[in-house]
Amino acid sequence: MGFNLEAHMPGLVARVTCEVGQEVEENQELVVLNCMKTEISCLSPKPGRVKEIMVAEWDEMDVGIPMIKLEEL
Amino acid sequence: MIKVLNGGIEIVVEDWPGRVGYMGLGMSPSGALDNLALQLGNIIVGNDPGEAGIEITAGYCSFEFTEDRVICLTGTDMSATVNGKPVPVWEAFKVYEGDQLQFGHFADQGFRAYILIAGGIDVPLYLESKSTCLFGAYGGFEGRKLKPGDELMGGEVADQDALIGRKLNPQYMPEYKNTWDVRLIVGPASVPDYVTEEGMDYLFSHEHKVRHDSNRSGYRLEELPSFFFARENGGEGGDHPSNWIESGYNMLGAVNINGNFPTLLIGDGPTFGGLMCSANIIYADLWKIGQTIPGRDKIRFIQTTQEEAKKARIQQLQMLKKPDLVM
Repeated sequence: MGFNLEAHMPGLVARVTCEVGQEVEENQELVVLNCMKTEISCLSPKPGRVKEIMVAEWDEMDVGIPMIKLEEL
Repeated sequence: MIKVLNGGIEIVVEDWPGRVGYMGLGMSPSGALDNLALQLGNIIVGNDPGEAGIEITAGYCSFEFTEDRVICLTGTDMSATVNGKPVPVWEAFKVYEGDQLQFGHFADQGFRAYILIAGGIDVPLYLESKSTCLFGAYGGFEGRKLKPGDELMGGEVADQDALIGRKLNPQYMPEYKNTWDVRLIVGPASVPDYVTEEGMDYLFSHEHKVRHDSNRSGYRLEELPSFFFARENGGEGGDHPSNWIESGYNMLGAVNINGNFPTLLIGDGPTFGGLMCSANIIYADLWKIGQTIPGRDKIRFIQTTQEEAKKARIQQLQMLKKPDLVM
């Protein structure tokens, strides 16, 4: 079963802090968004393995846009 | 009285009209970005309209109450729950010691919600205001946004149970949108010396998308075309035609031109600087800026006059005193 990390704020992708194949824990930061001149961490909702990174730096996000595809461990 | 469990994106203590009287010394007024939602909520819970409340930007936060209180939520509907059960917006209800208040994310329209507490919030007055100035790191609760573990104390309240169920008359409900009509008075840097006729036509005929890098100091809009400017450069003020010799800004609500980007100066915005201001948002429409979603919403400017602006301001202030405002 897979799941996605979705943007929860409109903003620009400041950086991606995970790599494809990486095992991540629940609440681990995977992407940082820039909104309101503040860096906002986007955390993994549950443990998993990064399958695909769907965004790059400076990409414009809105709420609900999938950023990272993960698979459950 | 209310303890922060999850600080979300940005939660601050703000009152209205903020810290006025010190702009000549370079101090921003701060204050609630949606002053209408703050004032209406305060009236519902029996406070002075300008009493401090908790301003929540974008949601994703939670609180625990350490005593029984009557509260009211206003602003955008962030699907708030108490102990998992939905609670109303624009209506006073009671929370009890140990209750957990949780906010989801902002709705399709509107970006800020307010918690108003019967008796108000007991933070120290700094220069006659309880408002937080984030960039100046003063006022409100320790001059900063709230974080997990912070606890705010409530003011004195008598017979708060009589307030339960008081709600805003729907006829006075502010309307939240994704394209906001905002009225402007043109000037001081305007046609023909600073802005071209075509430039002013552009300002008033386009829908301006709000950029993601907007915050409590300024709401930035998308780039203006270079034909906006009547001058080739800023003369003694600098190289870019948006530069001019340093002067005071018409806070709140100046449409400040930063390079090619118009920036709406609000709340914690600067009180002077070397960039021209081409128009000013009228008092009665200031609240709309606080509900505009950065990176998504658009603003449509409508030209108005000082007389109309004054009339709209008086109407809004009179509305807050209407006997049928709260049911």
